[in-house]
Amino acid sequence: MERGSRDYALWSIGIVLVLAFALVPVLWLISVSLKPPEAVTDGRFIPSEISFDNYKSLFEGGIDDSPFIKPLINSIGIALITTVIAITLAAFTAYAIARLEFPGKRVILAGALAIAMFPPISTVGPLFDMWRAIGLYDTWPGLIIPYLTFSLPLAIYVLVAFFREIPWELEQAAQVDGATPFQAFTKVIVPLAAPGVFTAAILVFIFAWNDFLFAISLTSSDASRTVPAALAFFTGESSFTQPTGSIAAAAVVVTVPIIVFVLFFQRRIVAGLTSGAVKG
Amino acid sequence: MTSRGAKALACLVAAALAVATLSACGEDSEGSGPRELTFFVAIQPGGTIEEVSKRCSEESNGRYTITPEFLPTDASQQREQLVRRLGAEDSSIDIVGMDVIWTGEFANAGWVEEWNGPLKQQVTEQVFPNVIETASFEDKLYAAPFNTNTQLLWYRKDLVKQPPKTWDEMIDQAEALKEAGSIQVQANRYEGFMVWANALIESAGTQILSGPESVELAQKPTEEALAVMGRLAGGSAAPPSLSTSAEDSARLGFEAGESAFMTNYTFAYASAKEEAPEIGKVMGFARFPEVVPGTPSKPPLGGFNLAVSAFSDNKDVAFDAAACLAGRDSQKTAVELDGLPPSRSDLYTDKAVTEAYPGFAELVKESIEGAGPRPTTPAYQDVSLAVQRSLHPPDKIDPEDTGPTYDELKSNLEDAVKREGLL
Amino acid sequence: MSARTRSERKLAWMLCAPAVIAMLAVTAYPIVYAVVLSLQDVDLRFPEEGGFVGLDNYTAVLGSQLWWTDFFNTVFILLTTVAIELVLGMAIALVMHRAIFGRGVIRTSVLIPYGIITVVAAFAWQFAFAPETGFVNGLPLISDEMDWFGGRFSSFAVIIMAEVWKTTPFMALLLLAGLVTIDNQLYEAAKVDGASAWQRFTRITLPLMKPAILVALLFRSLDAFRVFDTIFIMTRGAQDTESVSILGFNQLISRLNLGLGSAVSVLIFICVFLIAFLFVKGFGTKLEEGRPGA
Repeated sequence: MERGSRDYALWSIGIVLVLAFALVPVLWLISVSLKPPEAVTDGRFIPSEISFDNYKSLFEGGIDDSPFIKPLINSIGIALITTVIAITLAAFTAYAIARLEFPGKRVILAGALAIAMFPPISTVGPLFDMWRAIGLYDTWPGLIIPYLTFSLPLAIYVLVAFFREIPWELEQAAQVDGATPFQAFTKVIVPLAAPGVFTAAILVFIFAWNDFLFAISLTSSDASRTVPAALAFFTGESSFTQPTGSIAAAAVVVTVPIIVFVLFFQRRIVAGLTSGAVKG
Repeated sequence: MTSRGAKALACLVAAALAVATLSACGEDSEGSGPRELTFFVAIQPGGTIEEVSKRCSEESNGRYTITPEFLPTDASQQREQLVRRLGAEDSSIDIVGMDVIWTGEFANAGWVEEWNGPLKQQVTEQVFPNVIETASFEDKLYAAPFNTNTQLLWYRKDLVKQPPKTWDEMIDQAEALKEAGSIQVQANRYEGFMVWANALIESAGTQILSGPESVELAQKPTEEALAVMGRLAGGSAAPPSLSTSAEDSARLGFEAGESAFMTNYTFAYASAKEEAPEIGKVMGFARFPEVVPGTPSKPPLGGFNLAVSAFSDNKDVAFDAAACLAGRDSQKTAVELDGLPPSRSDLYTDKAVTEAYPGFAELVKESIEGAGPRPTTPAYQDVSLAVQRSLHPPDKIDPEDTGPTYDELKSNLEDAVKREGLL
Repeated sequence: MSARTRSERKLAWMLCAPAVIAMLAVTAYPIVYAVVLSLQDVDLRFPEEGGFVGLDNYTAVLGSQLWWTDFFNTVFILLTTVAIELVLGMAIALVMHRAIFGRGVIRTSVLIPYGIITVVAAFAWQFAFAPETGFVNGLPLISDEMDWFGGRFSSFAVIIMAEVWKTTPFMALLLLAGLVTIDNQLYEAAKVDGASAWQRFTRITLPLMKPAILVALLFRSLDAFRVFDTIFIMTRGAQDTESVSILGFNQLISRLNLGLGSAVSVLIFICVFLIAFLFVKGFGTKLEEGRPGA
């Protein structure tokens, strides 16, 4: 297909629009984080004066005392572990539902949906009581488990929707062509499942990363508090002053791992098609 | 088997059977090591809490150590955390920093212990009477007063020669100033709005509640208070985002030079001096404006009191620790490091206070003495929600016809004290 | 039952078990507890009072004007945000899929809004639109004094914009994954047959994307109905913008009236369930069946 300069021009416009839509508020956030406290209300999109004070205050005090470093570590660890476990469990379940015949498929899907639908705020109270009793309060598993619970439904549905579309007979075709079952699975099925798997992974990670409700209710110290909850402890100059600048700075810093994660995974979403299994 | 051995065995058995709790099973309650007390309180940016905890731990000579456990900065989030744990009878909380409006609720639910005897005398000595009231419920003292807070009227000396005495006067002056003449208050739909509404109603001469379950709200004074709200919100003296204004946005607006008047807490002065020195130079202060000319106004009353949790395993030492934490020296530290007004009236001539409030220390003291506290009731949250729902946004109040708003407010409040209905 | 079927079933159960256990362990007790609470008059601040009251809490909620206003607000936000997001999401997914350069950058940038902490994003939008602190009022065509959060529908406008911005990436991502699985050869064949771009879109793309669209719409609607953070940060539900989740929060956490609060939660659950039910029925796609011939 020829790519004339007209195509490039049109695509450029489209791309700029999309980028603007996605990034203008982010730029605003960055702008607020770079403003010194006096200028926070000047209403300007581009700061008249750039100051890195807000960022410095985040890391002041080193690992132990900074309001931000331990929560950041907690967030990264908890979100990653949640994602790995959730995708694994969801993949097993989705494979069973999409490929195997057994009673209870509908029940599992409906049940998963019911869980996704129940307002989490009602579960926080009992969960708090349960975790205090078992000793999971203020621990990593104490957060990982509820995150799993509430992200599994989405992960399962996404994976079921994609596994449904996989031409499973290709696996048998590959075996006929001489591949072992394992080779058939890994070289044929896995690449086809990749788009769904990586989509689900991104969604689960962001869910665990962003959650505020469980993070603030089921933690009480830096041992497991994640960044969204830690933001609630930021103070300004006085107890009435909003720490606008440092919150904005924290939000910017905390988005960087997301960018890295997504940048890495988004390429895999197309990997499936180009691996050669479907063509020919 | 020695008694220590028997105790150790019993502990092991209990631990094996029981679910993990934080009770001090390993501690020997005969005093072989300081007792560890946890102090659940909001962070103060200047470091007051750490400082007073450290000092009181040292002064106890090894009897106890106080470990601050910080709560979120926002008051309603603090309450959420505390309520969840106290409601679950969590024994890991010893001392609680209670906002003045939680006293009725926590006391009625049996979450905090009553103060008696010599310690009660000690923590209420020289404390303003109405501050003592904020720490009491049904005539019993449930907390040691720590810091209090009140609002003053801040105004631009360069725009206004004489500060107004009443709200109506202030609104007139503000409207005459046109562009630069807005009045900053707190009118977002949150507790700060209740603070403002309550102060107006009290200044008008009546009260919201006359008892934990009875609505007072005499009609004529209430309607006068409502008229002030409606007039301010509906007129040109209202800043553009009045209906979402809070303490911080109010001071930002004032510091940006957009307003001639502001009612806000004492922190506003120090903030302006630092963030907007040109405004700070021309910042004047006066008492919270009156609603009825000639009747002294009742400024808002805020602050924190220190209570001992009913589920603490260390109540005996906790009372002593709390008394130290709320004592004279601690209050001095609080005003030095964080500018928090002390609850002891004899501190207002102290250098620490006169330096923190240059020129207006006496005014702060008077304001606290004449303040109108918010209602004490276990159903406080319901009452606050009811007020917010009835009166927010304030520009819906017609200053010429406040009857319907009054009726709505009264009926919502009556539901609220009975804890009925959806709010 | 043949041995093969039995072993297939056993395998299936074993595969599903971990996920099922993970989901139930955490939610079974709380959900049952919430339902039980909703049938009682329980107020955490008055531990000695209370008792079984049957459906009283539900009649109190359903008979209250406040519930219905909030319900209307919530449905309004749901319909507008989901509709806008579907269209925008599809457009963005197409750009992410077919852009002839910069795909990696676009895809990553598009997902950033979804990755930003919700409360901070809401705060940033509120900050931008607030008259004193934001830049929106300085833009041409917009009055300097406009109090966005002072009126009902202007508040809704900002809330909807913030929600759409935040969650369109979710839609776009799911739709992209759906797009990616469509075989290019189908398009080639259609072009040979003379189909126009629009026809290719409506006859090939959309039908083949049905499962992805369904999952995206379903989960987005479930989340949209439970909108909380954005509204809470921007207006706290003032100007009649309150959603049912904020109502539930007020009863459950502020008033500690666990009975009423749980009743609201259960009602929210029922509404969301109905939405899901309508979706699955309406779309007619049975997710749990395998592909024909598989």
